Amino acid sequence: MCGIVGYAGRRNALPILLDGLKRLEYRGYDSAGVAIVGSRLQVEKDKGFIADLEAKLPPMVGTTGLAHTRWATHGPPNQVNAHPHVDCTGKLALAHNGIIENFAELREDLEAKGHTFRTQTDTESLVHLIESLYRGNLEEAVREALHAVHGSFAIAAIHADEPGRVVGARNESPLVVGVGPDENFLASDVPALLRYTDKVIYLMDGEMVVLTPTSAVVKDSQGTVVERAPERIAWNLEDAEKGGFEHFMLKEIFEQPKAVHETLLGRVANLEVDGFFTEGFTGVKLVACGTSYHAALVGKYILEEIARVPTDAELASEYRYAHGPQERPLVILISQSGETADTLGAAREAKRRGCRTLAICNVVGSTLTRESDKTIYTRAGPEIGVAATKTFVTQVVALYLIALRMGLDRGLLGYEEADRLKDELRSLPRAVQSVLNQSRFIEALAEKYGDARDMFYIGRHVNYPIAMEGALKLKEISYIHAEAYAAGELKHGPLALVGPSTPIVAIAVRDAVYEKMRSNIGEVAARGAPIVAIGTEGDKELSKFVDDVVYVPKLSPIFYPIPVTVVTQLFGYYAAKRRGCPIDKPRNLAKSVTVE
Amino acid sequence: MKAVILSAGEGARMGPFTASEPKVMIPVGNRPILEYVVQALVENGVHELVVVVGYHRERILSHFQDGKAYGAHIRYVIQGKQLGTAHALAAARAELADRFIVLNGSNMIDARVVEDLLGQKTGPAVVITQSDRPRSYGVVTVEGGRLVGITEKPAEVISNLINTGAYALDATIFPEIERLASQGKHDLPSVVSGLAGTREVAAVRTQGMWVDALYPWDLLRLNQSALASVGDVRSGTIEPNVTIRGRVSIGDGCAIRSGAYLQGPLALGPGCEIGPHAVLLPSTSLGKNVRIGALTTVSNSILMDDVSIGPSSVVQDSVVASGATARAGLMAASGRGDVQVEGEWHEVPQIGALIGEDVELGNGASLACGTVVGTRARVADGARLRGTIPAHGTVL
Repeated sequence: MCGIVGYAGRRNALPILLDGLKRLEYRGYDSAGVAIVGSRLQVEKDKGFIADLEAKLPPMVGTTGLAHTRWATHGPPNQVNAHPHVDCTGKLALAHNGIIENFAELREDLEAKGHTFRTQTDTESLVHLIESLYRGNLEEAVREALHAVHGSFAIAAIHADEPGRVVGARNESPLVVGVGPDENFLASDVPALLRYTDKVIYLMDGEMVVLTPTSAVVKDSQGTVVERAPERIAWNLEDAEKGGFEHFMLKEIFEQPKAVHETLLGRVANLEVDGFFTEGFTGVKLVACGTSYHAALVGKYILEEIARVPTDAELASEYRYAHGPQERPLVILISQSGETADTLGAAREAKRRGCRTLAICNVVGSTLTRESDKTIYTRAGPEIGVAATKTFVTQVVALYLIALRMGLDRGLLGYEEADRLKDELRSLPRAVQSVLNQSRFIEALAEKYGDARDMFYIGRHVNYPIAMEGALKLKEISYIHAEAYAAGELKHGPLALVGPSTPIVAIAVRDAVYEKMRSNIGEVAARGAPIVAIGTEGDKELSKFVDDVVYVPKLSPIFYPIPVTVVTQLFGYYAAKRRGCPIDKPRNLAKSVTVE
Repeated sequence: MKAVILSAGEGARMGPFTASEPKVMIPVGNRPILEYVVQALVENGVHELVVVVGYHRERILSHFQDGKAYGAHIRYVIQGKQLGTAHALAAARAELADRFIVLNGSNMIDARVVEDLLGQKTGPAVVITQSDRPRSYGVVTVEGGRLVGITEKPAEVISNLINTGAYALDATIFPEIERLASQGKHDLPSVVSGLAGTREVAAVRTQGMWVDALYPWDLLRLNQSALASVGDVRSGTIEPNVTIRGRVSIGDGCAIRSGAYLQGPLALGPGCEIGPHAVLLPSTSLGKNVRIGALTTVSNSILMDDVSIGPSSVVQDSVVASGATARAGLMAASGRGDVQVEGEWHEVPQIGALIGEDVELGNGASLACGTVVGTRARVADGARLRGTIPAHGTVL
């Protein structure tokens, strides 16, 4: 997974390309590079952050160019492996996002024909392949080359002999075209374009685009022109800026009351949720990766409790390669970006198995939404911090909406009960706000416990996946080793690791398993572990058993995941901040994982 | 020209309404007070803003962000301890050069006030206005358009012209701030008053709108002023047999049930649900996701986000903070009431109830005029309240 930007226009390309790259940095950031065609082709690239590259760039003049930010999959991050890559003649430059599966065979073949390879990347095979097919027309050479290539990719290419022209193509990796007056753009994601234009064309798999300053022509794999009118993007760039907060993650944590309002807006009163299927299946399968998978695990409890429908959650990377049983459940795919490669693979697998598919997604028009039968948008707005916060919370809120509608339609939820649950749903933005109001206190707790080398998160029932999500947040941004356990499992092994130097975060809200949690807390307390509990407001007993308590407002038990998650987000954030971690861009991680 | 907006203070006199947000973020006409200040500046071409934040600053940051949505470019400066307005301005010193404007984020103003201030091209200036309660403010003494001095909260009325807290200043103010700080004075009026002793400070009288909220019930006046310019907007679902008169703004995703009667000016935020046969009367603002039950009447009130009022209730001249809920039959009617604020009693001619964030009121709760219910208080069915219920309190 990487980010690509391309430009063909009348302005100097360099500042536009660099600005676009910075807005794609969330996609990966271990190396970056720029190629510009002016009087000749100039390529500059290096390992490290985009700002590092910018600092050492020589002057580059030209109005056509492309740029790339890389997150290594083939070959370590270094100067040589950074994109763009050039051919033997030094005239062709290419940036690529995704994977070329048959690169090894191509390489062997091309090396036999005398091409000299400089890198270990799969991309370079494609560069030399295009070079070998180039007869004065870049567009034709790229088209021919792509017929010989297998894999998932989005590419942008320029040639020194064809100034003013950028060729792009996509297959299973995102690429959008930005249309402006007298200039046109190419990018992996919309934020890179928004400063310059709000008119975009989404490319489909197998399509190519040829940009010149005055035209953006989309063609299919046979070279036939595809007519497609640009769409207007409603959100603006300021949505994607930090606005006074120290980190995007903190800004996004504090945006959650608003984000939850947006998810619920106009959907609660009549439970009109963009018309999805509620009947005609016997079970539900929730499929996702990473944080979205934690939402799926929460969803299992929600759907089973509210809609009484048998539900199962599975990792997309497992589901897509497993042999499914005969039943055809409704498959709900959860992905923030809608571009997660494994989740897209799972969507195709679900179709292949004859299942109907429903996407829960944040990005309008993303690949997942086009490939699923129906989509429920979470409307959380753009999320820039790599650690998912508001998008997770809104995914869970969407699952409540689905469960309520499904429960009513299946006749397993009475109207009175539904009305009560609707009131609880509406109270969620306030529940989130009440946790945010305690941010100073949570910061103090992070100060107190943040020196730990290892931490454990424990919970039961619907709060077990929330413990997992809390541990993941802590791991990914603060680099403190954290593990989550279903509290009942402690005595089956993990208890051996618990001691005075392993603080425990225990989710002990007032629900059906509260008493059980209390005895689990006793187990870890007996080993001398310091305990931070997350409890229900008004619970006066809890503080007698633990060192510190963060209180969340009283709710129906099934809704506790929302405020409890916010507590763990703030704890993780402040723990990372005091350790000086690069919170918005943790090492080795990228926002949306568009490779397997 | 840059403008500094002082927004760090808590606003302790606003009772339960500043429990978790600063005074400048209290919504009137469904927009925080500070938004009107930003708008007044932007309309006059002042886009470079420095906002001094402190108490619950995240609420300001997450609302305004970098200011682009409001046509401004906002930078934030944190005032750690809120010692006073001069101390707040000093916190922004590194952001300022040349001449700049200083405004108070909690005073609702219109563009005219800024225009009048900008009319004074050189030297320090203070905006003054006529007030009907000068004894609550700094009364100014003026000679031929020149400020002589500011007397804070005078015991006897010497004039009805007061300091609005809007200034044009330059960097020479900072040594003066330091000098007075060493005497333990941290408020800007003292500094400007002192400056008038050595330099000419222009007193600019404005005819523009300047409305201050000293006490929670003043919010209703601000709300009326805000709704004076509300747009006529129809969105969401409006069922048959709904009567809408006057200027009423209805947000996205609202559902207005059959038989409801809406008399403008009214502002309804997105996602509100107004029950069958509910009555909304001027000048009322409902925030996001507010629910009004069947047969309920609300008049001249502010109901903030996520408030829910059950069926057959009466809410008049009241302010209800975010997330407060009342079951059926809430009685919060208006009349003469005595209200205690920060230990002082005030007689208010027309007031309903002042209800804090996340308060829960049971069925048939009856609130005498001027009752204040603190944040997160729980009130049982059938309770009859008067006076002040403390935050987190329980009434059985």
